[in-house]
Amino acid sequence: MQLTLTQLIPQPLRDKLSMRPSGIWNCDLVFGVGEYVFVKAPSGTGKTTLMHILYGLRSDYDGAIRWGKLALREMTAESLAELRANQLSIVFQDMRLFPELTAWENLEIKRQLTNTISAKEMEGWLSRLGISDKRDSLARTLSYGEQQRVAIIRALLQPFKWLLMDEPFSHLDLENIDKARALIIEVIQKNNAGMILADLDEHTFFNYSQTINL
Amino acid sequence: MSKNLQHIMLKRILLKNGRSSRLWASMLALLIGNTLLLLSVLIWWNFNELLYGKDQNDSLGSTFITVGKKVTNANMGNQTATLFTANDIDSVVQAVQVQSVGMITSNQFPVFAMMGGDLAFATELPLESVPDSFLEHKPEDWQWQPGSRDLPIIMSSQFLDIYNYVFAPSQGLPQLSESSVKLLALNLKVGPGEGGEVYTAHVVGFSDRISSVMAPQSFIDYGNSKYGKQKNGGVSQLILKVKDPSDIKFSKFLQRNNLTTNSQSLRWSKIRSIVEVVTTATGVLAVLLMGIGILVFILFVELTIANAKGSLILLIEIGYSPRMLSRFMIGRFIPLIIGVLATGMLIALAAQIIATHAAAAQGLVLHTVPGIPFWLALFGSAIVLLLLVVRSIGNAINKN
Repeated sequence: MQLTLTQLIPQPLRDKLSMRPSGIWNCDLVFGVGEYVFVKAPSGTGKTTLMHILYGLRSDYDGAIRWGKLALREMTAESLAELRANQLSIVFQDMRLFPELTAWENLEIKRQLTNTISAKEMEGWLSRLGISDKRDSLARTLSYGEQQRVAIIRALLQPFKWLLMDEPFSHLDLENIDKARALIIEVIQKNNAGMILADLDEHTFFNYSQTINL
Repeated sequence: MSKNLQHIMLKRILLKNGRSSRLWASMLALLIGNTLLLLSVLIWWNFNELLYGKDQNDSLGSTFITVGKKVTNANMGNQTATLFTANDIDSVVQAVQVQSVGMITSNQFPVFAMMGGDLAFATELPLESVPDSFLEHKPEDWQWQPGSRDLPIIMSSQFLDIYNYVFAPSQGLPQLSESSVKLLALNLKVGPGEGGEVYTAHVVGFSDRISSVMAPQSFIDYGNSKYGKQKNGGVSQLILKVKDPSDIKFSKFLQRNNLTTNSQSLRWSKIRSIVEVVTTATGVLAVLLMGIGILVFILFVELTIANAKGSLILLIEIGYSPRMLSRFMIGRFIPLIIGVLATGMLIALAAQIIATHAAAAQGLVLHTVPGIPFWLALFGSAIVLLLLVVRSIGNAINKN
């Protein structure tokens, strides 16, 4: 599933963004199957806006986005849900867990949607990222680092062709980043998927096929 | 287990305001409204069944009238001119308001009644017969077979009234109750002069419907064929079961065909109009109550969804489909509506069973199981309520 961007620009940032050069805004781009794309996005360049637009959370943009043959703007709520459940996954910058559910339940509620990963495998991932002991703690009592690891696991509990990540390691130390990175690579490869990772500074956690300045 | 766990989790994050008193109040209003609606339909339906049904409630329901061709100066010389032909009867059968038609057959042979003792009298007696279904109460021994010497007769109540209030006082004779008349035996001499037969007749009942003396059909047929002058004796009067004799079209029909009648019973149409007003008022009240109930119920549903807005958005963000979430909400709220409808239905059905027993004590026949109008009202209100709730859930979820 290719990702095609045509003259994409968010309406609220139009004036601000037109003043400076960008590798994405107002450009025509095609990202091929299985590409690892790094979007380098200093503060205020619309990083999270881009991620939300790509994920279909907001539609206040000009230009067009196509996931494969599907024009994102024309999709119904149902087909968008289908896209999100089976083709497109995301790690939000602000994690977005259900505070009143435990870590385990936050994962379970996602896992049961498609049932592609077994509960046992999921348990293994929790211990790989070092949060097994937190599985029955309410999400609102977890530290940001723990929440971020739960959010990463949650994003991997579905089949996908693209994984969007918005500052996925912002609350993790290098050791934990390495564990999370290994898990992400493993699942992405299993899915033959591509990734778009947006972060403030350039880093070398993945072997990117292209790096774009936002 | 997994689907269960998913539901438990969804319940925890989506149904945060539980079952508040507002929900119970709205369900109570719905229950009362629904029950009232069903009861008013039941009352209306029962009354209609009593009036127009095919059961044995004739004395209460339709009006019975006898009609005959008007005797005028033009036709008074010709006896056959006032008889009903087959075509005449057909046109009466098809007339508006007429539910059924019975032929009144009268005796075409001489009948002479005699009584001995204190009440000694002897008189020529006209006899008539009507089909059994036109009798208000069919007496148990209302039958006669050729060869039998005992003859049951039904007397017009007017005869007894005339005797008790006009004849007896003027002649210094004792007045008679209905039951005492039933104990008397009359000797009936049937047939011409020498060759006649003698029967012992007993009054077995009184009728308000017919203004003569009635004998079983088999007896009149027997006498007519044995002694009658015209072998296929004509029909001089008809008895009609009429839905609403006050219908202007019906009286126009009578006029047009030169038919006369002396019955003008409007009793039941009056009661019917009262029942209609009462059931309509109850129905309107019921619909209003249901309207208020469903409004509060829907507000509660919308409040629940509004309270869960954050969770709903997040569920949709992680790939849950709005349709699935709607289904979950529908699965939570629709059983409550169905429960209310089922309870209202059970209450109404119980009321109907009680009413059937109460009516049976009055000699009226009602059905234990209500008819189509009841089920239409039930399913109609069910469909309206379910559609409103399902639509409001769909709308509230799609707003997110």
